[in-house]
Amino acid sequence: MDHASSFSSNDTTQKKRRATASRNRLGGYLFVAPLLLWLAATILYPLFSAIALSMQDIRIIGTAGDFVGLDNYARILGSESFWQAFGRSAIWVVGNAVVQTLAAFTAALILNQRFPGQQFARIWIILSWIVPTVVVVIIWRWLLSSSGVINYLLMAIGLTAEPVGFFGAPTTAATSVVLINAWRWFPFMAVTLLAALQSIPQELYEAAAVDGATAVQRFWRITLPLLQPVLFVLGLVGTLLSFNVFDVIWLLTGGGPSNATTTLPVLIYDTAFTRYRLSQAAAISVLSGLALLIFALLFIRFMAPKQEDES
Amino acid sequence: MTRRIRNRVFLALGVFLLLFIVIAPFYYVITSSFKAPQEIIARTPTLIPQSFTLQHYEKLFRSSNFPIYLVNSLIVALGAMLLCVALSTPAAYGLYRLRLPGGKLLFRVILVTYAFPGVLLLIPLYGMLSQLGLIDRLLALIIINVTFTAPFAVWMLRAFFTTIPLELEEAAALDGATRLQALMRIVLPLSAPGVASVAIFAFITSWTEYMFASVLILSDANRTVPVGLAGIIGQYQVDWGLLLAGATVTMLPVLFLFSLVGRSFVEGLTAGAVK
Repeated sequence: MDHASSFSSNDTTQKKRRATASRNRLGGYLFVAPLLLWLAATILYPLFSAIALSMQDIRIIGTAGDFVGLDNYARILGSESFWQAFGRSAIWVVGNAVVQTLAAFTAALILNQRFPGQQFARIWIILSWIVPTVVVVIIWRWLLSSSGVINYLLMAIGLTAEPVGFFGAPTTAATSVVLINAWRWFPFMAVTLLAALQSIPQELYEAAAVDGATAVQRFWRITLPLLQPVLFVLGLVGTLLSFNVFDVIWLLTGGGPSNATTTLPVLIYDTAFTRYRLSQAAAISVLSGLALLIFALLFIRFMAPKQEDES
Repeated sequence: MTRRIRNRVFLALGVFLLLFIVIAPFYYVITSSFKAPQEIIARTPTLIPQSFTLQHYEKLFRSSNFPIYLVNSLIVALGAMLLCVALSTPAAYGLYRLRLPGGKLLFRVILVTYAFPGVLLLIPLYGMLSQLGLIDRLLALIIINVTFTAPFAVWMLRAFFTTIPLELEEAAALDGATRLQALMRIVLPLSAPGVASVAIFAFITSWTEYMFASVLILSDANRTVPVGLAGIIGQYQVDWGLLLAGATVTMLPVLFLFSLVGRSFVEGLTAGAVK
């Protein structure tokens, strides 16, 4: 232990302690080593092999390829479909961030109140997040189908005369997919915000109330600033996780109609496994990774909360 | 007084809407999976089932490969769960209890791997696993799922480990217990809810995984539930009854496991970001 007392008068116990400390340290690394090795083999190594793959011209895995240098990159950077997918991924991430933040904040503020059944609500709100994506997909495909309950309701209140084909037109398909993914993810954000809200000392609000601050002022002056560290983590991790979403989109629309929902993950998958251009897919992965890295660095540089204490 | 009543009404409305948005679709899907086909496709939806039948479940288990998918998914999820716990508990213990020099850096590295978008690894991991001859093997899915659950598991465990008083371990050390013994005999039993939450998190995530399972598994006999169900979506002329029954069975283990550890699960989920 680092903090072992240095005032100890007994020299031998001190030596003994130091010996135990360094032995512990070595032992400590042994505890962490298996996981680190595992991650190195399954994340770090593939990362480098992606770069190697992207400089060959392999079409189907297992077949040999020639070294082609940066040809794949040149081709992709010059292709319209890459930049369109790039733009769609940006819209996807921003759209999800907006919808989820609004929904999650509302949910967290509601759940932070006292009401009967509060325990139940605070736990089971997470339901849509823990359920398998394929279930989410079946649920919404069914609810939004032409004979589904949502179309029934829309027609019953006279908003539309004909059933809406939600996944048939580019704009409605893209909107539906964003909303469905937000439905799946906002509870995760909500429970995190709720936990953060509950860590804010109640006295702050009481003091502010004594000073005559309104509820809105209290939110902007106390809640939001104190939530900043959590919002920073959620903003960063949430963006990366949201970029990563593939299965919801793929199983709802397959990237269509007319590629309207082909984000970068869908493009990578499609390029490798339906068009059999493995090396090109690897190059798209590397480029996407670089874009995300730049985003993350900028986000950390400009959004990181000021660090006051380290522990 | 009236303002208080108004606030309560608003709160009740908010709570109702929130739970309705999240839970109502599940209620509707589960109850509809027991409806007769005519009722499922009827023009006017029924909130309370007017008919009762098990025919969709019978079809699911008798005349589709769903039972095989279930067994495969169980193997993958249990395997990934055990390995994830075996790797993440010692790592979390080492990182949060032993004050290793560079521990903070290691912690950040693990955080980065958690947020790392897995789709970027799809192609190279596919290549790597195919070189190892693991294509179309459930073991490949176990490996993948451990990679994508263990970092977050470490993060979750931190919250539970830090609640255990350090003195307990120091006392054990004085009694001559090794670090491993202290972990096994003292820390693990005391953080049992945490370890259970982590195990269930790993199980649920592996149970859900679609993307890797859809490319690493080739034969129908080795498919997992998400890929198998997705296949049914396309394969039949949309048989909603069958799909709703499939969806219900697929979420059942998740609901059951979650109901066991719901509270500590949510706590572990959020503690990482808050603390």
